[in-house]
Amino acid sequence: MARTSKESVRAASSPTLPNGTEKEVATVAGPPNSGRPGQLVQQATARSPQAKAKVVKFSNVSKKFTLHHERPNSFQDMVVSLFGLRSPSRLGKAMPRPANEQFWALKDVNFGIYQGEAVGIIGENGSGKSTTLKLISRILDPTSGSVSVRGKVSALLELGTGFHPELTGRENIFLNGSLLGIPRKEMAQRYEDIVDFAELQEFIDTPIKHYSSGMVMRLGFAVAINVDPDILLTDEVLAVGDEAFQRKCLDYIAALRKRGVTIIFVSHALDAVRGLCQRAIWLDHGKVVADGPAGDVIDQYLVFENEKHADRIRDEYEARKNGIAVPGDIRSSVTIQKPTQEDLEDQGHTVDETSEEAQREELSPEFRFAYDAPGTHWTSGQARITDVKFMNADGVDTKTFLTGEPFTIRIFYSTGERIENPVFGIALYSSQNGVHLNGPNTRFAGLDIPFIEGTGHVDYHIDELPLLAGMYDVTVAMTGADIAETLDHQHRAYNFYVQPTPGMAERWGLINIPAEWSFHPDAAK
Amino acid sequence: MLARAKRSIDYRDLLYNLVVRDLKVRYKHSVLGFFWSLLNPVLLMLVFTFVFQQLLGSENNPTHPMYHVFFLVALLPWNWCASAVTGTLGSIVNSGYLIKKVYFPREMLPVSVVLANMINFLLALPALLLFMVILRPEGSGNPFGSDCQFACFNFHLLWVPLLILTETIFLMGLGFFISALNVFFRDTSVLVEVGLSAWFFLTPIIYDAKDVAHDLANVMYYLNPMAGLVANFREVFYYNDAASPDPFFMLRNLIVCTALLVGGYFFFMRLSRNFGEEI
Repeated sequence: MARTSKESVRAASSPTLPNGTEKEVATVAGPPNSGRPGQLVQQATARSPQAKAKVVKFSNVSKKFTLHHERPNSFQDMVVSLFGLRSPSRLGKAMPRPANEQFWALKDVNFGIYQGEAVGIIGENGSGKSTTLKLISRILDPTSGSVSVRGKVSALLELGTGFHPELTGRENIFLNGSLLGIPRKEMAQRYEDIVDFAELQEFIDTPIKHYSSGMVMRLGFAVAINVDPDILLTDEVLAVGDEAFQRKCLDYIAALRKRGVTIIFVSHALDAVRGLCQRAIWLDHGKVVADGPAGDVIDQYLVFENEKHADRIRDEYEARKNGIAVPGDIRSSVTIQKPTQEDLEDQGHTVDETSEEAQREELSPEFRFAYDAPGTHWTSGQARITDVKFMNADGVDTKTFLTGEPFTIRIFYSTGERIENPVFGIALYSSQNGVHLNGPNTRFAGLDIPFIEGTGHVDYHIDELPLLAGMYDVTVAMTGADIAETLDHQHRAYNFYVQPTPGMAERWGLINIPAEWSFHPDAAK
Repeated sequence: MLARAKRSIDYRDLLYNLVVRDLKVRYKHSVLGFFWSLLNPVLLMLVFTFVFQQLLGSENNPTHPMYHVFFLVALLPWNWCASAVTGTLGSIVNSGYLIKKVYFPREMLPVSVVLANMINFLLALPALLLFMVILRPEGSGNPFGSDCQFACFNFHLLWVPLLILTETIFLMGLGFFISALNVFFRDTSVLVEVGLSAWFFLTPIIYDAKDVAHDLANVMYYLNPMAGLVANFREVFYYNDAASPDPFFMLRNLIVCTALLVGGYFFFMRLSRNFGEEI
């Protein structure tokens, strides 16, 4: 393509751009506020094909947004603010005019993307991912630094945005193509491919407004990838259409990759990033935290996220234990719709929640239990599980484990009366998708507990934890001799994390099953 | 600057498509389609001709002969101006969904509006020419002959392309200013709409520029390029006798409009850097 040589460099007018100061290895130690030093230092360029040209280059790029709390966007407001007049609050008192807040969406970001690379950009909401995409696609200009992009960029951001509802599919294809800077003649050559890909032959002369949203998206996708881009930007839009179409899109993207198209993919779907990209850039608060092989960066990101999440859960748990209602915590204010037979039959059971007094106030006549609401807790009052601890090889109480480590769940009980032949059980769930992993109990395992009285604990021990990285919920339960007689049942009330484990070859799914591969070619003719 | 111009050439098909979209969408659901762009000025012409010839006109107060042509020749460029101003005003703001998602030269949006309205203007011109031929009162002479006194077909009509060019340049310049301003101050649109009706009366459309007091006329021409344009259109189509249009006046108007376009373009380019986040 003759167009590939076209390069655009946009530099902000700021003078801070001495050539050669840009860092190739954009790895900063540790995300801000994490308190963890960056453990994994990645070499961004180590894997990059040096022979190939850089198609995207961010040199000390910063982007500042001004958050206008009360923006003078009409002349009236401007006049009002000119005279320092304040808008009165509801109480009738003058409120101080909030200053415009400045927000750095990106701060001194450096990276280069080489031709033919597939790069995932990951990070939490507000980390600067979308701003990065918009800078690459030239929708935004940097506040300082320079962004250079070489080649034709096609963005799959919100498909079908360029379409006009009154125009037909055919007219919109040409309009959309020209929005991307494709000459009409070239567009005419691609027209058939686009229509075929979108599977819209019969509707192509119908105005877009009569299309279903799926058809619009299909057409949008078909245009975006058939304009022969040098760089394809996409965000979560790959979730378009039915499964078959999605697969077609992913296949097509893979084909584009093979052809040397650079792909920049922004997503929260880490598995998709892992599958599609060989390299990932992790942004946090507008800075590059890590940049390197996708698998490693994602693992590092997951560790960080789990850690952060663990802190929050731990705080909530502590608060609950101390009887403090955590605002916004669903577990302390269960409103449940699904009544279960067992519960309705069991009139003798009382409800136990964080604080019984608080509970009594919240209880309404409609209050019912659902077995599948995480955090649901019911007890007969005769005996209860007072605490659950997760312990590692050294017997240390922790929340984070590695795959393959020894792992123990310790269940503490307390009972005021003597209970004969009780049964303790647990169940493991994946927190992400709720998959029920197992549900062992002491009776199935053949452990005979003659009776319990007072306090004590029961251990469930795994020699080598088979779970892969992720967050897991644990249900603990205690029943009488008859398993149907629930003494205490805390549904998915506890959780722990498995961190990505160095050296662990498996990374997809939930469990690591020790197994062997072998290779047996048939003898050559 | 040169790179920008080159880029604009790369996107010329976008301009074409935007103009076509504009025209297609405008006439999509009306039965009469593009005939509305003829019918609208013709109906207005009938109303004003009735008012000025029948209600106000009398023996003592003679109106311009062939008032309908006199009026229509000023109304058509004015309509182009008014619809282009309204169109460009919202051209950026109403395309926010595009601007936030796709990169393309933003200046294409106001430019396409001006061009689409220019095409509308050109499509309405034949009606004017037709009226010049068929709606002639007794004794006004053959429009193609040498005895013709006004609304004649003669070499003065060769000035028309220059006038159209001048108006295009003027409207693009103005469009750059107001479309960009409207992104940052939404009350630009309110002001412009009020301004348009005042502007209509401050431009010699229903009256003759020649009737304006000489010192005021000069001020009018300086402040309002549309006044000069409308007066020129009228001279070329209606008063096209030997004394008519002044080439120096037309040149001056062209220069003023070009200056406005250049200023508007830079203003627009400067502000367009922030369109993506302000819309």
